[in-house]
Amino acid sequence: MTRLRRAGLAPDRGPLAVAAEGPGGLRLLALDPEARALGLRPGEPLGRVRARIGVPLQVHPADSESDRAALLRLCRWAEGYAPVVAPFGAAEAADGFYIDVAGASHLRGGEEPLVDDLAGRLARSNIPARIALADTPGGAFALACYGASDRVIVPPGGAEPALRALPVEALRLDPGTVSGLRRLGLRRVGEVDALARGPLARRFGEALLLRLDQAMGRRPEPLAPLTEEAAYRAARGFLDPIGRQSDIVVTARLLMAEIAPRLERDGIGACGLRLVLHRVDGVMRVLDLGLSRPERCPERVAALVSLRLDRLGAGLDAGFGFETVTLTVTVTGALSARQTELGAAPQGDGIDALADALAQRLGRPLLRLGARASHIPERAAHPRPWTSDPTPWPDHLPPRPLVLFPRGEAALDVLSTVPEGPPRRFRWRARIHAIVHAEGPERIAAEWWHAPGAARDYYRVECEAGRRLWLYRDGPHAPGRPAAWFVHGVFA
Amino acid sequence: MGLDPANQTGRASATGSPRERLASLRARLAGPGGPAAARPVLPLGLTAIDAHLPGGGLALGPPHEIAPMEPADAIAALGFTLALCAAQLARTQGAALIAAAPNQPLPHGHGLAGLGLDPGRLLLLEAGGDAEVFRALEAALHARALPVLIGLLADGLPLKPGRRLQLAAEAGSEGAAPPLVLILRPPQAGLPNGAATRWSIASAPATRDRFGTLDNPRWRARLERCRNGRGGDWLLEWDHAAHRLRLPEPLARDAAAAGRSRA
Repeated sequence: MTRLRRAGLAPDRGPLAVAAEGPGGLRLLALDPEARALGLRPGEPLGRVRARIGVPLQVHPADSESDRAALLRLCRWAEGYAPVVAPFGAAEAADGFYIDVAGASHLRGGEEPLVDDLAGRLARSNIPARIALADTPGGAFALACYGASDRVIVPPGGAEPALRALPVEALRLDPGTVSGLRRLGLRRVGEVDALARGPLARRFGEALLLRLDQAMGRRPEPLAPLTEEAAYRAARGFLDPIGRQSDIVVTARLLMAEIAPRLERDGIGACGLRLVLHRVDGVMRVLDLGLSRPERCPERVAALVSLRLDRLGAGLDAGFGFETVTLTVTVTGALSARQTELGAAPQGDGIDALADALAQRLGRPLLRLGARASHIPERAAHPRPWTSDPTPWPDHLPPRPLVLFPRGEAALDVLSTVPEGPPRRFRWRARIHAIVHAEGPERIAAEWWHAPGAARDYYRVECEAGRRLWLYRDGPHAPGRPAAWFVHGVFA
Repeated sequence: MGLDPANQTGRASATGSPRERLASLRARLAGPGGPAAARPVLPLGLTAIDAHLPGGGLALGPPHEIAPMEPADAIAALGFTLALCAAQLARTQGAALIAAAPNQPLPHGHGLAGLGLDPGRLLLLEAGGDAEVFRALEAALHARALPVLIGLLADGLPLKPGRRLQLAAEAGSEGAAPPLVLILRPPQAGLPNGAATRWSIASAPATRDRFGTLDNPRWRARLERCRNGRGGDWLLEWDHAAHRLRLPEPLARDAAAAGRSRA
């Protein structure tokens, strides 16, 4: 609401409301004092409200992203008071922030002048605020939202009596818990606190006790302060927008050269990079580059950017050109100086470069065959990223086919001479296979902890043409049940 | 003035014995624009076959085309390809890259032991199509990081990508030996291209060990085309322990009978 008024999107006078899609259509989310004076409450359906009140009501759609951005701007501003500023999360309705003033209040001459100063500045900026200062974040939140006045300062150790008189909503509980407590006649924090903890936890879960203890200061509540902006970032603006691929590549190289000393100083390299191209008309193009190994060489980064732009081709759509190019290191990894082997090219270096080149040029990762501990053949192998260590392969397995099908392909028209033995002849892939040699069976049981299934009897067979197949019968032989045969793989 | 002008002029080979002159002519014909120096090769270890191949083995660098004789032999052709890959990996360090078009049969890690190939030395790239396979192989040829490159194609190797691969093989960095490039394509897609050799592979009954069980795989390999060499047709046996191809022993041609007689 304040954001709308400050941005000039809403008139300064007249009842104003923000509505969002809720159960059963649009519902009111926030109201200004004038709208509140009309008897409106958040959560009411907008249609009913419009029908009830006679005066025109200004309604704006909710925009949680802009609200969040505005809150973060305010938090940044509030960092002037103390370094640890944490915006409210979802549990606190995301409409305020905490300032941890411990050890910082003396800079403003004590706690009271600090709160006065904060309130004064916010009021001058037309931001309505309720401020509370207490021992714990939970206590401060409760007093700010449900306290007696706009400005509450609780002396150290005095939070508990002040909190006892507050309604249970002040504990940052979910609505279900609140209504449950009210149904039991528990309206005040003090009444809840006086009860035995065991039954309370059983009835309402751990969350209630956690919130209670956090407010009372019996359990610590760490704040999640605003994260710092990425330290490894470089940007370059252009008077004349650039639009040619070579220019972008050169810019990327220069930006990386700017970042590289900072990375080197900290002993790290970039594993992930983000190149943001700001087009003149405000469109942003974001290229995310992943590297297989920490890297800080500008030339290699430029080569990868070039490959990526190659792949994008016309998809980049430079339009009237890019006016700003930003390079940010999004993922870092330790990269210490290495001694290179004299004379010989170190093993694996070339593969790194190749893997990155393929990833940028084709957008496809390089994989490595990996073993998995499973008896079921189709589960026993799966590809992994090539950077992972080679998995140990069991060396005591009976022969396995060179190519394994993801699932067995049915062998039809099976003719066997011995009912429990391998087939003599069958049709598979529109071709009759006459078996001249068979080895087996190798029985592989199903993994009951994944999915129940029948054990399979595998046979290695060679047909007249010399093709070697891996056949299995689904389930052991049983009289009266026709055997189902499947081809699961082909040997070299 | 030199006593032996042949050593000082560039026409040294031209004035040598007819055999040398023939060799120099062959070398000049071998690669258009390429250096006429002796090319590194992968000898197959079988004089019967190596004599058919220029330089005494599969040339490293230019692509070699391998196709199954009929669609059902696709796995046999893959086996032959991976056997050549294993032979080259046994001689060098590093890993092999398999760039595969979609829906091509990929090797099963546990089955590679049967060819004597370490699955840890295989890298896999699942490309979106033949064009991406060519681009990947070209990038790998330029990088010179891998000793073996294998492309599994869905539509065959046309002239232009084949020529590009050959140029990439020649343009690679100095010093490092070019990799062995193997292209596996479906049987019906025989296109004119710059491949150094073209093999056609069919499966053949495997050898039996002395207990009559299946042992080494065998393939019927036909060398259909070979630039500066001769074609041929052989029954080949892959010895996975020694990493080499063998010709079946004449006495053991009927392997099952041989196994019985020895038992």
